[in-house]
Amino acid sequence: MWFSSVYLKTLRDFRVPILGWGLGLGFLMTAVFAAVPALLATPAARASIVALGPSFAWFADPIKIDTPGGYATWKYGLTVLVVALWPILAQSAMLRGEEERGTMDVLLSLPRGRFRVVIEKVAAMWSALVLMAVLVGLLAFAGARKSNVDISLVATIAYGLNLALISAVFGAIALLLAQFTSERRAAAGWTAGLLLVFVVLDMVHRVVPNTLWVSRLSPVYYFNLSKPLVPGYGFDAGAMVLLLGLSIVLSGIAVWLFVRRDIGGVVLTRRERPAVRAALPAGDWSLRSVYLRGLAMVAMPTVWWTLGIAGFAAWMVIVVKQTEAQLKSLLQGSALGGDILKAGGGDVATNTTILSLLFVFLPLMLMAFAVTQANRWAADEEDGRLEIVLSTPQSRLGVLLGRFAALTTATVTISVLTLATTSVASSITGIALDGGNLVAATLSMIPLGLLVAAIGYLLSGWLSAAVDTGLISFLLLIWFFISFLGPGLSWPDASLRLSAFYYYGAPLLHGVQPADLAVIVVAAAVALALGSYRFVRKDIAV
Amino acid sequence: MTAPIIEIDKLTKSYGGRRGIVDVSLQIREGEVFGFLGPNGAGKTTTIRILMALLRADRGAARVAGLDSWQKSVDIKRLIGYVPGEPSLDPNLTGGQLLEYFAHLRGGVDQSYLKQLIERLELDPGRKFRHYSTGNKRKVVLIQAFMHRPRVLILDEPTSGLDPLNQQEFDGMVREARDDGRTVFLSSHVLSEVEKTCTRVGIIRDGRLVRVGGVAELKDIKRYEITIHFAQPVPIETFAQLEGVAGVEKLANGSAVRLAMQGSADAVIKAAARYPVVSLTSYEPSLEDVFLRFYESDGKAPQEVAGVV
Repeated sequence: MWFSSVYLKTLRDFRVPILGWGLGLGFLMTAVFAAVPALLATPAARASIVALGPSFAWFADPIKIDTPGGYATWKYGLTVLVVALWPILAQSAMLRGEEERGTMDVLLSLPRGRFRVVIEKVAAMWSALVLMAVLVGLLAFAGARKSNVDISLVATIAYGLNLALISAVFGAIALLLAQFTSERRAAAGWTAGLLLVFVVLDMVHRVVPNTLWVSRLSPVYYFNLSKPLVPGYGFDAGAMVLLLGLSIVLSGIAVWLFVRRDIGGVVLTRRERPAVRAALPAGDWSLRSVYLRGLAMVAMPTVWWTLGIAGFAAWMVIVVKQTEAQLKSLLQGSALGGDILKAGGGDVATNTTILSLLFVFLPLMLMAFAVTQANRWAADEEDGRLEIVLSTPQSRLGVLLGRFAALTTATVTISVLTLATTSVASSITGIALDGGNLVAATLSMIPLGLLVAAIGYLLSGWLSAAVDTGLISFLLLIWFFISFLGPGLSWPDASLRLSAFYYYGAPLLHGVQPADLAVIVVAAAVALALGSYRFVRKDIAV
Repeated sequence: MTAPIIEIDKLTKSYGGRRGIVDVSLQIREGEVFGFLGPNGAGKTTTIRILMALLRADRGAARVAGLDSWQKSVDIKRLIGYVPGEPSLDPNLTGGQLLEYFAHLRGGVDQSYLKQLIERLELDPGRKFRHYSTGNKRKVVLIQAFMHRPRVLILDEPTSGLDPLNQQEFDGMVREARDDGRTVFLSSHVLSEVEKTCTRVGIIRDGRLVRVGGVAELKDIKRYEITIHFAQPVPIETFAQLEGVAGVEKLANGSAVRLAMQGSADAVIKAAARYPVVSLTSYEPSLEDVFLRFYESDGKAPQEVAGVV
């Protein structure tokens, strides 16, 4: 049955993401509903969180955040947008990926028109998103019922559908951009960048007065107009229709372009440079060794991730300075404040405590970067791109360590530039940060990034690139949940220690904890050693 | 006789439960051009990838220049130029950049020879790999295999995707390598190419090496056909029992016969001379025909072929 049409075959290809994202987000909402009643148990706690809301309005609209639905919508208002990453990856690969692999030629040799093929594929993506939305809605509803949270099934399903709509919009953008790029990776990268830009545009009106018109340029703004989980707020049908219309129009343009262009070609072809036969040797620094080649490969991603991570760190410093007074009074006077401080690792004597809490996102981002680079290593091996390299007199261990060293250089660069940016931001804003602790907070991210990369390298010894990436992403998600929901759910210390974030601790407050740092360094070294042991013995590209 | 530079001894490899190769044994002498023939999935690429230490054999040994292909892979790769069956390279680098990268990894190559190869195969090194046609991608891979003048060339279907002119150029490059005393081990489906360039041939089927011999030897054991047209019908039985006749087919209502021959045609000629002969034609099959016949019997090599090694 699953191979009787392009639609069904594509839907079958999406079965793991449907289940993975659907179950992941569904259980996230279930966990939030389980944790929130304890956080909002007392009138004082509810009052403090209501007071805290406006200070973090830049992050998400604080509406009825003293209710479970309002709190979940506020706290995960932006976080849930990670779900858009899957359609971005899937739709950038939907046509362009098949063209790169050459499978599109075979598909289009069948007695089916291009239009029908692409329409069936797009329909499969939308069906997958709807299925995912329903799964999220059902699990969120079940979680709410289990925790005695009063939210209707219609509300949770509408929440899921709103997520599906914004995901469809970004998927459609990826599909459209893939008509202009010769590689799926480029289309995915540009769309992910646009996602970030649109998130920031949506934030603007909540931070800067009279800028609503700017935010209205962002699809994320229309996503945020619907808040079905917030009691009495409901969803904005007009905004949802607009998101649907936008994804239809963008997909329609992509389809229109696809049926008219060359397979394997791009819509706007750049004129090729004339041949440079005399240009050998090219004398390019990056061609001198596996390490330098690895460095060149990771250079551009490093620039973008540095902008993201260092920019986020600097922005946090500025935001904390702006909200200094409100945060101090709020955190000192509430039970919730106590929990937050526990997670942040200190008291409210200085802004450092708040920054310490926010800085936990930095290693998370660096680890996400490591995931992408571990994926690249696994994909290079899987696609046979290491075959000729390994036919030269380079040892397998040398090739693996060369690439890992390049990745290490990139993570060190990101961390050092984050340190520099944060130092500049703190001196400009006047926030006093302990220099040594700031160094610890930024540089102790490095072992965490390397741990994730080493685990990715290790797993690639047995698993395909896709499964490897999925597993380490899942591991990252699990660690995040353990560290951020575990304390709220009063999990034992032994459980909290299962997360790598536990060992990062609160270095902005307490500096480097050598024992904890050693745990991560040793774990990373063991994973890399095992990964190397496996790689030098395994069959390549099998 | 020169010493073998490639020695494969009872090499066995399986992929989980799937058969790869079974007890493959082979010796290739230095300076030989050896053709490795077999249908898709027969085990050619598996054998080659074990030699290149990209796969690890379950049993048996493979040696190049007396060095174990797995234990001493780095030393061996100094001697080898390799063309993989399905080349995949960084799509964002130009052909020139890729060649320079591999040249660096090999510790440097003679730039004038590299440029000579680029000119010879008419490669435009300024284009990105992803913009190359299949044939041009193959040229990049061929050049990187030849550019350091390796002592041994291991080439997995090297001319796949090349146009006839470039195939001719490739034949010339292989001949020059042979004349320089270098060894070439190539797998191919293009039998005319093997026939032209190789001195010996091995045939692998279902993971087992079923035949190794000189190209001329293979032709010796091949069948050939004689078709004789007579002025009148002749009794077919006259030819059926003759020495060297493997099969008889009656044509044109009995006034012509087609004989499948194996060995000398002397008896047939003498028998035919008893009747008025209009014409006699002999058809000598190409290596391709030999190859196809070799695989036409389901599961078994024909006895007369299996017996001649």
